Amino acid sequence: MSAADEPVRVALDCMGSDEGPAEVVAAGAYLSASREDIHTVLVGDGEQLAPLLDACTYDPRRLSLRHTAQWVSQDQRSREALDANPDASILVACRMVAEGQADAVVTAGPTGAAILAAERSLGRVPGVRRAALAAVTPTELRHGPRQDPFALLLDVGSTLQVCAEDLVTFAVMGSAYARVISDNPRPRVALLSNGSEPHKGPPEVVEAHRLLLAMDNIEFVGNVEGLDIPKGTVDVVVTDGFVGNVVLKMIEGLGEVISDLAADAHARKFLWRLGLNMLSSGMKEIQTLLDWESYGGAPILGFTHPVIKAHSRSRRRAIGNACKVAAKAARSDMAGTVERAIRRIPSARSGTG
Amino acid sequence: MAASGPGKWRHAYRWDLDKTYLDTRFESLSELVRIPFQHAEDKVNVPGSAALLRELCRDTQEQGSAFVSIVSGSPRQLREVLEEKLRLDGIVWQEFHLKPQLENLRKGRLRAVKEQVGYKLPLMLRSRCALPGELRETLFGDDAEVDALIYSLYADLLCGRSDGEDVEVLLEGVGATAQARKHCAQSLASIVRSGDNPEPVETIFIHLDSGSPPARFAALGPRLIPVFNYYQAALVLFARGHLSAKSVLRITAAFLAADRCGPWELANLFQDIVRRGHLPYEAMERLAMAVQDESRRNDAAEVLWSSAQRMADLGGIAARSEVGEQQRLDYPALLAQFKSARRAARRSGKTSSESSGGPQA
Repeated sequence: MSAADEPVRVALDCMGSDEGPAEVVAAGAYLSASREDIHTVLVGDGEQLAPLLDACTYDPRRLSLRHTAQWVSQDQRSREALDANPDASILVACRMVAEGQADAVVTAGPTGAAILAAERSLGRVPGVRRAALAAVTPTELRHGPRQDPFALLLDVGSTLQVCAEDLVTFAVMGSAYARVISDNPRPRVALLSNGSEPHKGPPEVVEAHRLLLAMDNIEFVGNVEGLDIPKGTVDVVVTDGFVGNVVLKMIEGLGEVISDLAADAHARKFLWRLGLNMLSSGMKEIQTLLDWESYGGAPILGFTHPVIKAHSRSRRRAIGNACKVAAKAARSDMAGTVERAIRRIPSARSGTG
Repeated sequence: MAASGPGKWRHAYRWDLDKTYLDTRFESLSELVRIPFQHAEDKVNVPGSAALLRELCRDTQEQGSAFVSIVSGSPRQLREVLEEKLRLDGIVWQEFHLKPQLENLRKGRLRAVKEQVGYKLPLMLRSRCALPGELRETLFGDDAEVDALIYSLYADLLCGRSDGEDVEVLLEGVGATAQARKHCAQSLASIVRSGDNPEPVETIFIHLDSGSPPARFAALGPRLIPVFNYYQAALVLFARGHLSAKSVLRITAAFLAADRCGPWELANLFQDIVRRGHLPYEAMERLAMAVQDESRRNDAAEVLWSSAQRMADLGGIAARSEVGEQQRLDYPALLAQFKSARRAARRSGKTSSESSGGPQA
C-alpha cells in the first residue's frame, strides 16, 4: 500500500452538537462500514458513545474510540470551558492530530471552541494571523470542472475584525482550498463590498483590493456585491467574519422561509397546491441546491492540519459528508497547499503578516 | 479427515459452515448457481477460520483431543467437495452433518428446505447424547440465520435452564416438522448430565457476517459473543484457556494474510472486543507478556504497541469488563424479534447492514 493509498484517520469529536452524540456516532459507524479509505476515531464520553456504537452497523477495523469525560457544549463560553476542561473532546481530537495519531479533525461542537482548540493544539500556518471559517453557499452559476452549484464564502464567523492583510490571507487560503477540494485549477476570487469599484468599501477592503491586485498567484477579479453571492459570479468571496456570518445566516434563513412559504401555499389553496405539484421537480432541484447537509461542513482554514466544522444541527449524513471532506483535505495536503500559497504573499515572506 | 474419537475429549467445538467457516455468498441467483460447480480449492474461508479451528484441534497430550462437529445447511450432494475442502485446510472432525435437501424437495417439504431450527437442534441434541456429561462446548455460528437462537436454546437445554416446552414452542413457531419435535424430545431424555458441569456450553460465537449491530444479540445474554472476525474470537479463546499465545500468533498471521489488516486495524479490533467487555484486563496482560516472549518480530511488536495505545484510549471504560449472569431467555419473544427484524430488512430491500442505521449519503 503506498502512502497515497493509506487510509486517512479522522478524529471525530462526538460531543457538543445540538443533536447529541447519537448522530455523530452513527456517521462514524456508517463511514467505517462503507469507506475503506477513512478510519474514524470517535472522541468523547465512552460511557455514552459505546452503547450508541453497539446499536449501529460498523466495522471495528476502521473505527476506534478515544474516551474523555470532558467536553464543551453549545451554551458554554468557549475560552472558559476549554480552560476548565483541558481534556475536552475537541482538545483531545486536535491533540491527536498534533501528535500524529489522526490526520484531520471534524466537529459539530461550538465553533469558538473548535478554533481555540486548534489554535492551542495544532497552531497556525506560518504567515496566517487569523484563522478563517469558510462555508459553501448555493449559487445559480456552476463552478469548476465538476460544475459545483456552490461558491466558497469566507470568513463566516471566525474573525470579527480584520485588517487588509487578513483579508489577503483569507483570499489566498480560500483560493487554495477551492483548488484542492473543488479541483478548480484557477478559482476566481473577489472581495465583498458595497460596490465593484476599487475605492468602495471600508479602508481595509480598499487596501486589500490594492494588495490582491498586485499578486500574480491568485485570480483576483475585484469587488463583488451581495447580489453576486447567490448569482455565483465568482468562486471565492472574501469578507470579514461579522459580515460573512450575517450573509450566511441570511441565506440559510431565506432557504427556510421559501420552504415555509411553499408549505403554507400548499396548505391554503387547491390551485396553489396544483401549481406547486406541477413545479415539484423544479422545487426539488432548489431543495437539493439549498441542502446544506450535502456540502460537508465548513473548513477552518489557517491551521497546520484540516479542521472541519460541521453545522451544530448536523445529522449523520452531514457529519459523514464533513468527514469525507476532511479526508479529502488531508489526502490532498490542503494545509500544505495553503502554507505554500501563504509563503508567496509578499508580506508573509517579509515576516510582517 | 473424519476421526473416530478416543475415550477422552478435551472440549467440543461445534461449527456452522456457510458464512461461519466458509465465506459462502448466495445472496444473488448467480452466486447460488455457482456453488454446486465449485471445487474444494475454489471455496474461500472466512478470514482466520481454518487457522482458528486448526489451533483449537491441536492435541495436547495431557488434556485429550477436541471434539469437532460441523452442522451445515448445505445439501448432502456437496459432501465430497466440502470434506475435501476441510481436508485441504488440515481440519480433523468427528461429525459432519449436511442437510437432506433433495429428500426435502422430493417429499414436498418446501418449508424444511429453508428452515434451520428443526434441522440443527435435533442433530445437536442427538450428538450430545453420545458425549460425557462433563464435556464443555463452544459453538460457532453466524448472524445470517437463526444460529444465535438455536445455539442459545441448545445451551439452555443442556444446563436445564430451558426444557422440552421451550423446544415445542420454538419448533412450532418456525414450522418445524413433527418428526423434528419428536427427535428433540427423545434426545433430551437421553442426554447425560453432570453436576460438575452446570453450564456445558461455555461460549457461543456469532460471526457478524451480514453486519448486524452487536446490540442485536444483547438479549441473548453474556454467553453469546458477537465477533466481527476470528482474530477477536482467538483473543477471547486465549483468555478462556483454549489457545496458547503461540496459537494466537499463528491465527493472527493467517488473519493478516487473508484480511488485509495491519497493526492499526488489529489494534482497533482488540479495542472493540475489550470495550464490549469480552476480554478481561488480566487476560490482556497475560497475552502481552506471552506474545513478547514468543515473538521478536517487528510487526508483532507494532501490533502490541498499537493495541496498548488503543487500550489506553478507552480510559476508565476499559475496566467495565464484568459481564452479567446468563438469565432465562424468553424464546417465543426472541423468535418474534428475529422474525420482525428479518421482515423489516426484506421490506426495505436492504441487507441487515444497511437497515440498521447510518446515513445514505
